[in-house]
Amino acid sequence: MTDVPIARAPGSDRAAYKAARWAPAALGLATLVVFIAGMELIIRIGWLNRFIVPLPSEIALAFERVILEERVIQRFFLTAFECVSAGLLLTVFGVGIGVLLYRWTLLRKATETWVAALAAAPTVLMYPLFLVIFGRNALTIIMMGFVAGLPPAILKTLEGLTGTRKVLINVGRSLNLTEQQMFWKVLLPSALPTIFVGIRLGLIFALINVVGVEFLINFGGLGQLINELAERYDLPATYAAICFVILVSVVFFMAMERVERWLRPAD
Amino acid sequence: MAVVTPMRRSTAQGSAADAAILTVDDLYVSFQTPGETIVAVDHMSLSVMPGEFLAIIGPSGCGKSTLFNVIGGLLDNYDGEVRVGDERIRGPHPSIGMVFQEESTFPWRSVLDNVAFPLEISGMGKAERLERARHFVSLVGLDGFENRYPAELSGGMRQRVSMARTLASEPKILLMDEPFAALDEQTRLLLGDKVLQIQQELKQTTLLITHNITEAVQLADRILVMTYRPGKEKRIVLVDLPRPRTSEVVGSEAFGRTVAQIWSDLREEASRGMQDSESRALRPGGARHD
Amino acid sequence: MAETGRLRATPAAASAIDPVTLVRIVIIVSVLVIWEGMSRSGLLYRDVVPSLLAIGHALITELSTSGFYGNLGVTAAEIAVSLAIGGMSGIVVGIVLGANRFLGRAYEPYLYYLGPTPKIIFFPVLIMWFGVGPESKVAMGALSCFFPVALSAAAGMRQIDKVLIRVGRSFRLNAWQMAMKIYLPAMRHPMINGVRLGLGVALIGTLLAETKLSNKGIGFLIIQAYSLFDMPRMYALLLILFAISIGANALITRLGHLDAVPKR
Repeated sequence: MTDVPIARAPGSDRAAYKAARWAPAALGLATLVVFIAGMELIIRIGWLNRFIVPLPSEIALAFERVILEERVIQRFFLTAFECVSAGLLLTVFGVGIGVLLYRWTLLRKATETWVAALAAAPTVLMYPLFLVIFGRNALTIIMMGFVAGLPPAILKTLEGLTGTRKVLINVGRSLNLTEQQMFWKVLLPSALPTIFVGIRLGLIFALINVVGVEFLINFGGLGQLINELAERYDLPATYAAICFVILVSVVFFMAMERVERWLRPAD
Repeated sequence: MAVVTPMRRSTAQGSAADAAILTVDDLYVSFQTPGETIVAVDHMSLSVMPGEFLAIIGPSGCGKSTLFNVIGGLLDNYDGEVRVGDERIRGPHPSIGMVFQEESTFPWRSVLDNVAFPLEISGMGKAERLERARHFVSLVGLDGFENRYPAELSGGMRQRVSMARTLASEPKILLMDEPFAALDEQTRLLLGDKVLQIQQELKQTTLLITHNITEAVQLADRILVMTYRPGKEKRIVLVDLPRPRTSEVVGSEAFGRTVAQIWSDLREEASRGMQDSESRALRPGGARHD
Repeated sequence: MAETGRLRATPAAASAIDPVTLVRIVIIVSVLVIWEGMSRSGLLYRDVVPSLLAIGHALITELSTSGFYGNLGVTAAEIAVSLAIGGMSGIVVGIVLGANRFLGRAYEPYLYYLGPTPKIIFFPVLIMWFGVGPESKVAMGALSCFFPVALSAAAGMRQIDKVLIRVGRSFRLNAWQMAMKIYLPAMRHPMINGVRLGLGVALIGTLLAETKLSNKGIGFLIIQAYSLFDMPRMYALLLILFAISIGANALITRLGHLDAVPKR
């Protein structure tokens, strides 16, 4: 797609510009609609077994049923509570440990690769272990979310602090700032945008793990709902619940992007 | 050849006209790199009079930034002395205000809060420091921008904020390291006007490190030309242009003559520098960053 | 240049033990000592913190049983196939979306926002479609790794220096040649990172699926240990799993650095 300007009358230019901006989104949406409609048709005809893939229209109907009968609101709040708890824990400990590692260079050099390795490790697979240690309750779920979201918070805090621009540190030195002043007035404010990125990443990992573990251990809010509906073989409801959880996850992710953009107007 | 005329000196300190406010005495700075010892400054001395504007000019790699860091106190591994008045200093000193070459405003603070920063550090109360800061914001010509953030300003405006911040701490000596290096020529000249205006108003002793001859001649009373590494004084040139000055002086004949004279000194050093960095680039291991 | 900082030479730190290594050893030893202490103290419920000896024993037992390797093979195969399927489709989709701005803007947001969602919740659906055997695990892994690989590929496409693409066009390369000779080599670094991420999530997806419903694989072994309350064995299995995962991650990262230009 080349961007060669073509001579046009101003009025049609504006219209064309607007169309060009919305066209891709329209295409995406249109594809989705066509896909759903297509599925409806294919299943009705019988090319796909409706006991494996329910009719989209049935799934839509199941939404209402799920929301009314399955206490979706309460489940949502339970999942949200678990996420928020995990989020608070990973913020406090992530930033705290990050600052600590920044201060104690030796400790940082010794453990930084370990933290990075932990970030890449499949910590969620420890859920059977956590089940034994904490029991089949919300605490296990919160701890799993916490453990999953901790490494990015630590690493980004560290990255933000060590990435403070040299000249800003020199400004501080030229004014003879004490170590405390240097930290609170120069290092931390400079690192804050990166720290928020770390917290956001941590929250995302926490959410994924919270819902995932809820599903796996059959306890909790939304994740457990899916598991239960699946075990009942209520297919349309299972699909509906999955869609609902995806929706919640996407909205959450978008909201966090908004928050971050609001916090960092400079960008 | 510049005609030596007695310089008009303002004795802001009220002390005897011959007492230098800043003295660098026999400074020697060297660095160890794997393979060789590099002498950045080789037994250099200079003195700055109260109210004077001294420009130090030299080719890239001549050690002028080292000089900046030594006087500012950010570098303390050297032989020799730095004195403010009679007091020997080592390390950052409140009498010396530094303005850095790079972007140094705090992006998370408004213009006013940036400028008030040194006052905040010294414990001044909020109302008073904001009041003072406003004065300096106005001094650099940024009235109306107090509540804007650096990201909303141009590069030249941000450097003015940095300058205002340093001036707010009312240092005896203003030490600047190529503060306008990142700006285009026209902006430089106009900011130069601003600097002249401020310096005249405050009778601020100023030490400017630069590689830009036009800038040096436009702003300074005296210019110290440095040799290429190892850095030494090559020549001191008196700038025989009247004060008060504006950027219009750039067009005058005397200006041109002074620039030409400095360039003839500088050119020799600059080409030495260029040959040196080219020969280093050809060595295994590549060009060393200055 | 207003760079400042420690420009003086550091005297050669030629002490016998590198302090970093020392700190690491101290940390590891302390952890082991505290662990063993907790294990013997009887403070915690039975075997939640088994003694190091028990874990060590379970580790050796596990690694010397052929059954373990059989399961390891099953899991490894599942991961490999899922990475192949999810990775390939991810690369193709990513290249298409990255090459074409319009298509990218139309469809990439879906990938971007669907990416960070818990894929394990799709598992019941995948079981319906693919049965309870390894196919559903492979599907789980493929679904998981499709997203990060596609997004990395799309981003990788966009960071390719445009001039290289023009060079390819000027030689009238067809789509396949463009992909093989221009796109993939030019974006090998973001691609390797994407594959590393993809491997990570494929591993997680496959193993979680195994823990949920399976009778083979490492995930199955872990759940088996859980249901029998054989804690030393569970710890041993987790240790092996983590070691393999971290090792594979490090390996791919190393491979990614192999062609880095040495710093001047």
